Amino acid sequence: MELELVNAMAQVAPILETMTEEAAAELAEGYALAAAAIAVGLAALGSGYAERGIGAAAVGAIAEDRDMFVPGIVLTVLPETLVIFAIVVIFLV
Amino acid sequence: MSAGASNPEFVNARVRSRRASLFSEEDYRKLVRMGPSGIARFMEETEYEREINRLGTRFSGVDLIEYALNRNLAKHFDDLLEWSEGRLYDLIARYLRKFDVWNVKTVVRGIYTDASPEEISTDLVRAGELDDATLDRMVEADSVEEVVELLSGTVFGEPLKAAYEEYETTGMLVPLENALDRAFYELLLEDLGRPTEGPEALYVEFLQAEIDFRNARNALRLARSGADLDPAEFYIDGGVLFDEAELSRLVGDYDTLVEHIVESGRYGDRLSAALDRLQEADSLIQFEHAIDEALLEYADTLSSVYPVSVSGVLSYVLAKEREVENIRAIARGREVGLTEAEIEDELVIT
Repeated sequence: MELELVNAMAQVAPILETMTEEAAAELAEGYALAAAAIAVGLAALGSGYAERGIGAAAVGAIAEDRDMFVPGIVLTVLPETLVIFAIVVIFLV
Repeated sequence: MSAGASNPEFVNARVRSRRASLFSEEDYRKLVRMGPSGIARFMEETEYEREINRLGTRFSGVDLIEYALNRNLAKHFDDLLEWSEGRLYDLIARYLRKFDVWNVKTVVRGIYTDASPEEISTDLVRAGELDDATLDRMVEADSVEEVVELLSGTVFGEPLKAAYEEYETTGMLVPLENALDRAFYELLLEDLGRPTEGPEALYVEFLQAEIDFRNARNALRLARSGADLDPAEFYIDGGVLFDEAELSRLVGDYDTLVEHIVESGRYGDRLSAALDRLQEADSLIQFEHAIDEALLEYADTLSSVYPVSVSGVLSYVLAKEREVENIRAIARGREVGLTEAEIEDELVIT
């Protein structure tokens, strides 16, 4: 794994040296976007995991009492705020 | 989702909702003042509506209440097993097998006394792991041997088969019943090990407490009655309060037995009030109620420490059992004409 990384760096290094400044800037921006995408993706994964438990409990509560439908939905989507905050990252980069 | 995954969130949400609809102290106060038909009418307006209506044409009075309670209990506990999956199912089923033990005992006793299948069937509490088809076949069986045969594939198969030989030579049901109880308690803690933290550690601790209290109760009864029975026969392994030799020694001497329970730090605090009463030496019933109350409170504490685990379910199971027993005590008490104060003594309310 590490060895592969070193190899890849060795290949990239000469390209970077010969690159113009604009091209380097473009590449950096590309990496930043990729990082933002990963951040949002991880946030979505996290909130999905949180919603799993809450959703199960909400369905249980609704099965016992229909009036729990609205509170159930509200609580289930609460972790969704995680993703919304993560989307802010996209505008920051 | 993998087959081993469990769903404590779903089960806990449902259980907590049902727990909230159990009778409150105030309901009991009302019930204590009613006669059997009044209690049945009161129950018709609550949780028990469906059972009372369904059984209302066949039974009346205290019998109606009793059977409605059993049916309702079975319905709720069956639901628990139906909802839960994986590990959670395993943990719940361990405890609910006590109804299987009850059912098998009922069937065997029924066959022994030549009761009709309908009579046996009404006395079953269909809450355990054995499914309805098996139970029905058991009820229809003609001999004890047939019942043992039917259960051969279940967890009770082996121990029953071993006990059956003894039953054949002595003609007494005791070995069969002891074998069932023993199998139940052995399975209770099997494979759980001794986890040291998390909800499962508390689950094990709770079951140990249950076994300890059962042992203590048996020992106290033996010591009180002065019956000449071998205490080792009733000893249940797995508790922490007594080992077998200790129990045998202590049964002979009532005072040291009580002292032993007081001195063991584990339950001393929780049962202190009850133990004081016991040392003042009168009512064993009061002590048993105190034990029940202590168990109930203990389970409640656990369920708030680990809200999303088996603890919440366990505390519901205990509370529901208590409710059924309380209502039964009220109905029976009214039937034989106890006073309100006497009945209130019989109730365990937390």
